[in-house]
Amino acid sequence: MATNPMHQFKVYKIGPKIEISGIDLSFTNASLFMLISGAIIGLFFLLGTKEKKIIPSKIQLISEMIYNFIAKMISDTAGKKAKPYFPFIFSLFIFILVCNMVGMLPYSFTVTSHIIVTLTFALFIFIGVTILGFIMHGFKYLKIFVPSGVPLVLLPIISIIEIISYLSRPVSLSVRLFANMMAGHTMLKVFGGFVISLGLIGGWLPLSFSVALTGLEILVAFLQAYVFAILTCIYLNDALNLHH
Amino acid sequence: MSDLEDFKTRLKIAKSKLQKRKSQNSEKKGIFLGNAFKLGTELIAAVIVGTIIGFILDSWFDTKPLLIIIFFIFGSVAGILNIFRAAKKMQEDEK
Repeated sequence: MATNPMHQFKVYKIGPKIEISGIDLSFTNASLFMLISGAIIGLFFLLGTKEKKIIPSKIQLISEMIYNFIAKMISDTAGKKAKPYFPFIFSLFIFILVCNMVGMLPYSFTVTSHIIVTLTFALFIFIGVTILGFIMHGFKYLKIFVPSGVPLVLLPIISIIEIISYLSRPVSLSVRLFANMMAGHTMLKVFGGFVISLGLIGGWLPLSFSVALTGLEILVAFLQAYVFAILTCIYLNDALNLHH
Repeated sequence: MSDLEDFKTRLKIAKSKLQKRKSQNSEKKGIFLGNAFKLGTELIAAVIVGTIIGFILDSWFDTKPLLIIIFFIFGSVAGILNIFRAAKKMQEDEK
């Protein structure tokens, strides 16, 4: 069981079973690691913003750097109009990042390696952005499905293609994060299993692979959080500034 | 205020050191890798969505293999369109 590479993704209940009107709401290891990630974020920024010095301490410097990084990303991709959505994108980025990083620790659980978690994030963004577009532009928002300068004969086909393209956004957003995290962690576990089964003689090669893969996985963990946040900005930009 | 003056000079030295190192280079590499991850799923997601829509419409109208084929093709076209747009955006960003 321990050598099964998919065993690490198993969700199990911690504590008693909680059921409200037929929906299973038990506390699981996934919920535990989400809480841990949330606690790490809260504690980190609490410490980082406790003392506001001119010469910052290391922890203050890091939290300011993260703030600047997200603020620059939003202003670069979505413009000034997206400023009110900074808290949302900031918390989204930092939560995915910390969840991914916590998942890199041995014996921990990667929350983002489950498609239901990433799909929830993506659907929340997708529905929110769509509602926002309709609030900002009314029925003119439907224009994104009708590109300008298309002959009338082709219009129905183009519209269908545009609608499919629009609906594919949450799918690509969620599948990307989920697949990258799951594939990476499975690969790490498989190479780790090779080390055990090949023993002292042949185990050194997979061990070195494991070390390299761990480095790659940390990069991927950061990059996926970044891609998720930047795509949210791009979708937000499409909803705020219509141009088609 | 000597503390502040001292900090200013130290900041200047640190900034000039940073510029030498050309930190921008590594930042760009990360963005390229992010784009590479983006393109692959963009194509597949549209095909999946198109096929699912076709499948649902098929079971609604009872026209089994017809609509799923049509919407599979539509989905593929939408996927290629997605990639085309993403690539265009990358070129614009580079300029």
